[in-house]
Formats: sequence, structure tokens, C-alpha cells
Amino acid sequence: MARGSGNRSRLLLIILLVTSLFFITLDLRGVSLTKGSRSVAQTTLAPIQRTVSDIFSPVGRFFNDIKNFGGIKNQLTAEEAANAQLKSDLLAAEDVKGQLTQLKGVLDLAGRGKYQVVAARVIARGSAASFSQTITLDQGSRSGIKPDMSVISANGLVGLVKTVTSSTAIVQLISDPSFKVGVRIARSQSVGVLQGEGSNTFSLQLLDPAGTIQVGDNLLTNGSDANRPFVPGVPVGQVTWVDHTTSTLTQSGDVKSYANLNDLGVVSVIVSAPTSAPAVALVPTPQPTVTVYLTAAPTPVATGIPVPGTTVAPTATPSSMPVPSVTPTAAKKK
Amino acid sequence: MSALRVGIFLAFFFGLFAIQESAISLIHFPIAGFSLYLAIAIALMAHEDGNAAIITGFLAGFVLDLSPTSNGPFGQWALILTLVGYFFTANRESIADLTTSPITFVIFVTLGVSAALLTYIIFGTLLGEHNGSLKRDFFIIFANAIWTMLFTPIFLPAVGKFRQLALSSKER
Repeated sequence: MARGSGNRSRLLLIILLVTSLFFITLDLRGVSLTKGSRSVAQTTLAPIQRTVSDIFSPVGRFFNDIKNFGGIKNQLTAEEAANAQLKSDLLAAEDVKGQLTQLKGVLDLAGRGKYQVVAARVIARGSAASFSQTITLDQGSRSGIKPDMSVISANGLVGLVKTVTSSTAIVQLISDPSFKVGVRIARSQSVGVLQGEGSNTFSLQLLDPAGTIQVGDNLLTNGSDANRPFVPGVPVGQVTWVDHTTSTLTQSGDVKSYANLNDLGVVSVIVSAPTSAPAVALVPTPQPTVTVYLTAAPTPVATGIPVPGTTVAPTATPSSMPVPSVTPTAAKKK
Repeated sequence: MSALRVGIFLAFFFGLFAIQESAISLIHFPIAGFSLYLAIAIALMAHEDGNAAIITGFLAGFVLDLSPTSNGPFGQWALILTLVGYFFTANRESIADLTTSPITFVIFVTLGVSAALLTYIIFGTLLGEHNGSLKRDFFIIFANAIWTMLFTPIFLPAVGKFRQLALSSKER
């Protein structure tokens, strides 16, 4: 009896293993059935992720504040409950304000680089069940986003669009271990390859044996043919450590990302860019100083900040304008 | 395992998958992340008798393979969790001893999740995936184990109750 049960278990195991291997083979051969099922799953999940993100974003911070109050939590009265409600509203407003700040920063960078961008909100992060580093955006092919488009934040490159559905896009972050991007050093114009390592620090390997890396070197994307997947001149990071061992043909080092990948609320997908690189002007300054310009005709602020999903055309802002600029000057394009 | 239970488990895993991908993945855990999905799937498999553990593993893996953020090929998780299910079936008597005490059960689930993640990395490497440095991978597995150990006691009774509800009268 037990032997029969054991045989049945083995037979079932073989059938299910063969089925799994069949799926793996189909996927590795690029059959659209398996890719399509993930796309359907993403389309189904998108509304849930959007709703959860809307609810969770302010509520998460609200719980953090409650935790800090600790001891006085028990003394809450009806008035304090009302205060909590107000506080919740305030946090929600703060959340929106934070998103606007990030959006303004992204648009500043996009404007200076003359990129045409689609702003999008981050609605989910990669699952802990996989070792990949991804984020999910609330804009997809309906907004003009396609796979292999560069994604930027206010400080620089964030990642690359991996897959797109009609209303969402999954972005592979530059920290993902399988992410590689061609970069050039702003100082020497030496070209190298940057690879993600799962954190905000990446490894850089120069391609030119005569090239040198110095701590503090700024790295920009080298760009790809027809601007895809990478547009040229997007700030990537700064060299923090250089490997001086002489056993390798080319120099290598560690790079720290300009963009804070743990704090992404609003990002922009570059849908089109000029063919020439905007050069070093886009590199974030370490300690920005705010400069106020007085002009006779103020920019209409009410229409200046586009909502996520709006395609934004490059502005006429000169690339030499100091960072950060005080008023958003991006214009809407229908 | 009845067809009805397969349907119930499939629906349950879909719901769990939606929670994992929408809510759990938004939480910034201080060290790495936590997979509620894997923890519940392993706990459910440990409860199952006979071939049911293998089928449960396959179903859980199949749904997890739908994850659009997964860097592995479709079917990788199904393969791994089917093997984990078979391991549970083959060692049923030893595992039954472990699941009698809640503390040993929590440790067992934690080890199960860690083993599943480790197998994922090994299979991924064989299939040519880039999962980062070994140090980083082990750190993620370690962090997942810590969170699993902390959170499993919270949902473990609910998993047991759910399984009881999913059983048909004949299976009970």
C-alpha cells in the first residue's frame, strides 16, 4: 500500500516537473504565451497596486508617527481623534507635496537636457520573492511608453523600462545585478561599463586600457543608437573608490548613484531626446544654492506643473541655469 | 486532493499573490524584504498529507511565476516549489513531528523559505540569471528568514484554519 502511494507520488512529481520544465523551455525560447500571462497578471494587478499605493502612502507615514508618540497614545480623547484626522489629512497633503517636489526636480532635469518625458508615479516595488530590483509605474503604452526607454529621477538615471502594459510599466532599476549601461567619465571622456550590484553602489569597468578613473569623477550615460535604450548625457553617479591593482588590463572602481533608489515617488520616462549629449551641465551640484531671479513677467504657476502621465516637451530654459530653479517652467503639450 | 480544493487553493494563492505584489512589496523593511507568499505557501505545504503537498507546491509556484517583476523564466518557481512539496511528502513522518509544536513549526517554515530561496538562486545560476553577488543573496535570504520567523506566528493559526475549511467532508 505504502509502496503504491510512493510510486504515485513519484509519478505525480515527474509529471509536474516535466510541466514546469516545459514552461521554462517555452519561456526561454521566447514563446509569447508565457510572456503574455505575465502581462495579463500585471494588467490585473495594476488597479489594485494603484489603490493600495494611494491608501498606503499616507497611512504608512501616519502609523510611523503614531509609533513615536508611544506613551500618550492611551490618553487620546475625542478631540485628539479629530486632531489625528487633521494630521492624516496633513500627511496626505505632505505626501502630495513631496511628490510635487520630486516631479519638479525631474522636470528641471528633463528641461535642461531637452528631453521629452512622461511623468509617472511609482505604485509598487519588486517582489521579495525574486532577487531583481524593479519598480512599477502607473503609466504605460497609452502614455507613449515603450520598452527600452530610459527612466530618470530629479538627480539622474533610475533605470530602464523592461515591460509595458497599457496602463503600467515595469522598470528595471540600475541597481539590479543584471543591469549594465555604457557610461563616460565627464572629465576625461573615457568610456566604461557600469553594472548594478543590488544597492546604491555600482561597479565601473573602463574599456580603454589607457583611461584612468579618479575618486569624484562624474559619470554620464554614453547613449545608444537612436537614443534607445539609453539617451546620452544623463547623470548616473560619482566614483567613490578606485581599484589600483595592476593585475587587470583596465581600471575599475565603485560608483555611487546620484538618484536615491530607495526614495522614488515620481519619475520620468524619456520618450524622446536630442541626438547630441547635453554634457556635464546635468550633473547635480553637491550643495545647491537657491538663486532667486526677479522677472517682470512671472510664469503662470497654475499650469506649470503637469500631472503624472502628461507628456512634457523640453523647455527653452538655457542649460547654464543654476540648480535648482525656483519656478517650474515646463509647458504642457497635448 | 479534490478538484474543488485545487480551485480553492488556486484562488487563495492568487489573492495572496495580489497582497504580496501590491502591499507587502511597498513596505520598506529595515533589512531586505519579506515574502509573505512563500511563508504561507510553505506553511500550507507542511500541513498537507501525501501527494497534496506536491500539488500545493506546484500551484503556489505556478502563481508566483506570474509575477511580472520576476527575473526568472516562467516555470522556475513551479519547479522549485514542486520539489519542496515532494521533499515534504517523502519526509512526512519527520515533518509531522516538527509541526506538532508551534515553535518548531515556525523554525521549520523559516528553514523551508530559506531553502526555497537558495534553490531559486542555484537554479537561476544554472539558467544563466544574474542574481547579484553571493554575499548579497545570502543577506537577502537571511533577512527573509528573520522576518519569516517574526511574522509566521501571527498567521500560522489562520493558515491551519483555512486548510480545515478547504477540506471536503470526505477528506476530513
